[in-house]
Amino acid sequence: MTHEELEESVPLYAAGALDRVERQALEAHLLSGCVSCHNALKDYQSVAALLPLSLSPVKPPRTLKATIMAGRNPAPIPAEAALNEPARPSLEPGEWMNHLFPPVAPARSSSLPWALGLATLLIVAVGGYFAWDVSTQRSIDTSNIKQLEASLQEKSARLADVHREVGDQAKVLAELRNEIRQRTKEAAEAKEQLAQREAELEETRVQLIEAELEETRLRLSQRGNPRTVGTPQDELATLLRIPNVKAVSLTGSDMAKLAAGFLLYDSRTQNVWLYSVNLPESPTGTTYQLWAIRDKPMSIGTFQMDTGDTTHLLVKKVPSFTKAKTFAVSLEPFGGRPQPTGPMYLLSRS
Amino acid sequence: MIDPTLLARVVKGDQQAFSQLYDHSCTLLFTLAVRILGNHEEAAELLQDVYLEVWRKVSRYDVGRGTPVAWLVTLTKSRAIDRLRARASRGYRPTNSPEAGTAVRVADPGPSPFEMQADQELRIAVVAAVAGLPKAQQQAIELAYYEGLSHAEIAERLNQPLGTVKTRIKLGMSKLRDGLQQWWNHGELQ
Repeated sequence: MTHEELEESVPLYAAGALDRVERQALEAHLLSGCVSCHNALKDYQSVAALLPLSLSPVKPPRTLKATIMAGRNPAPIPAEAALNEPARPSLEPGEWMNHLFPPVAPARSSSLPWALGLATLLIVAVGGYFAWDVSTQRSIDTSNIKQLEASLQEKSARLADVHREVGDQAKVLAELRNEIRQRTKEAAEAKEQLAQREAELEETRVQLIEAELEETRLRLSQRGNPRTVGTPQDELATLLRIPNVKAVSLTGSDMAKLAAGFLLYDSRTQNVWLYSVNLPESPTGTTYQLWAIRDKPMSIGTFQMDTGDTTHLLVKKVPSFTKAKTFAVSLEPFGGRPQPTGPMYLLSRS
Repeated sequence: MIDPTLLARVVKGDQQAFSQLYDHSCTLLFTLAVRILGNHEEAAELLQDVYLEVWRKVSRYDVGRGTPVAWLVTLTKSRAIDRLRARASRGYRPTNSPEAGTAVRVADPGPSPFEMQADQELRIAVVAAVAGLPKAQQQAIELAYYEGLSHAEIAERLNQPLGTVKTRIKLGMSKLRDGLQQWWNHGELQ
């Protein structure tokens, strides 16, 4: 059969539709190391193994499991022992693949002496015939017999060559397999190292950001009032680089339709920053107060607003930030109140 | 569908792992055995043989050759076809015609408690892929797969030319492969 014919028989093999002779021909071809047929077979065998899923499921009797569990030997037979069992009538799952790899040597070397023995026996027989022939029928052309003898010797030499070649190829295959195993191991190790380096890098990055934040904070406190910030861009830029920073946006109420703001929350330090724009000036004797509302409002802090201020910043540790459902800013009498009493200016969309 | 590490535990003689392996695969294998043998008693007997063989020979399983489920399905199918052939050589006449095979199926017992979301999706994909084949291709594949008939026997049974039968199986199998390839390419098929 040609390679094309063999390749065409792969789907039939997987469906179980080949007769014995064709099956053996394809298996022999696969053993010869044809990669494309091997790959095609792997795909088709996967298809074949899925086919029973298309049947309506039938549950086995309940008692079957107990029977099976009770019927086992104490332990599975190890690989070597299982391999020595006599061959079963039908093909084992993927059994042909067993022949691709070890045990190679015993199977191959055992057939070589057999072939040589047979050849020798034939040569002896031919020789005997020759002797008999010389004594009885001298007229027969003896050169024919010599030719036959030579051709036999040549054939057995060729057979030995083929065996040697197959053995060599099996060795190369085994070496390749070992190498692949080694490479896979190396790749896995490299991957692990890479993951570790990435984790270290991430840790360093977080430390760097924290250091920058600390530096900004120090610089601000040296200026005097930590809450009024002329240029909060540095800190905002740093904040936005914190991994997993959370943001909540706030919109102006009817009291201040143009006002808006947002809260940033760093879950590592549990600090909250408020940025707001277009909040009206807080009249003398009043203060803005920021609330985190869960079941009831909880004050996060207060801040003043002078004319012309467009941005305010409030820094506070708020451990319960993530539990809050809503955030709001109200205008309260100076000093703030335990509960909101004045009008709301900013509200988070929830 | 079945974690290969479960088989690794069975190799070490882990009873609990074997029990889990049974729970995960018994419905599929029993369904297959009933479909091939056409009778529940014999299917149960076959499953007993198959699981004992799995228990004894589990160390032969090589993950490089296919998924655990593929291994179990192939083993069950090949043992069931052996029985079918042995039965035929004894002159046994099945009481069920191939079509009567549907009569022994349970209406729809619903997914087994062990059937995960991914398993259900795969089942749906396989049912759709098989149902999507032209009837003639489906029939030819089923005669080979579930009744162990060679293409020549199928041609005789259907009274069709041999070449036609071969083409039907080839086309059908390659359509199924194209339709289902994503399931093992993406590693979803365990």
